[in-house]
Amino acid sequence: MECYNLQRQAACLKRSLFDQGYLDEQFCQIEDLQDEASPNFTEEVVSLFFKDSARLMTNIEQAMEKNPRDFNRWDAHMQQLKGSCYSIGASRMKNECASFRNNCGDENAEGCMRSFQKVKREHGVLRQKLESYFQLLRQAGPAETATRPGCA
Amino acid sequence: MASKMQGSATKALVVEDIKVDCVILLRMLQKLNCKTTVAHNGKEAVDLFLEGKTFDIVFFDKDMPLMTGPEAVTKIRSMGGTEVKMVGVSADFGGMEAFMHAGADMFVPKPMKLETLDSMLQEVISKKNMSV
Repeated sequence: MECYNLQRQAACLKRSLFDQGYLDEQFCQIEDLQDEASPNFTEEVVSLFFKDSARLMTNIEQAMEKNPRDFNRWDAHMQQLKGSCYSIGASRMKNECASFRNNCGDENAEGCMRSFQKVKREHGVLRQKLESYFQLLRQAGPAETATRPGCA
Repeated sequence: MASKMQGSATKALVVEDIKVDCVILLRMLQKLNCKTTVAHNGKEAVDLFLEGKTFDIVFFDKDMPLMTGPEAVTKIRSMGGTEVKMVGVSADFGGMEAFMHAGADMFVPKPMKLETLDSMLQEVISKKNMSV
């Protein structure tokens, strides 16, 4: 019963992540790659994403400090982060990355700074929510994936 | 979704500097029964070819340190790597022109779908089986 409740909580949390636009269909593609041979693949990929993305955001921050108004450089760094967001289905982060790149295209430094703050905020929120999700899954045990709410 | 040539698995090289993107593509390829190798930038990929390594298909990310994907494609083609299928992969649609101009066989936007990858590999297998 306890396991069932935890599974339901995990499923509800995941549904909300899709409903609120934090995740998109690509996250389901990642989950589809998980199997008995790689039972923790999704969590491993997400963990890797947050490691990679933290590094990329540090690179962007340093570029913005050390190379003021070097929009090509800022854009190049953000392009990499955006690509990773696409890869795991981090939809809101992806949108804020796109906004940053648009501001680079417009050579709008203040706009870039605002967008970057939003990227960082979305990154933090998504990390927190996914950490909660995987914690629930771990507590629920291995039998979760019979149905995948939120995935088309 | 079998991807197997007569007698040997498809040999795929993934050229990607972003770990998460690399891990996802590797997992897809492994699910499709490919034997995989990784290069972390274009230069490492070129070095593998210089060492005499052969692959049936190579996936290149676009922007990488030391040597970009399109640069590596150009270099490998000029070294005589004309038979190997080369696929450019990027979240940036502007990458298509760079890759095709460099001599890639095709461009696929990120994120790649498993079905797309499977049909690409089926094509490689068919071509390889016909030449055996």
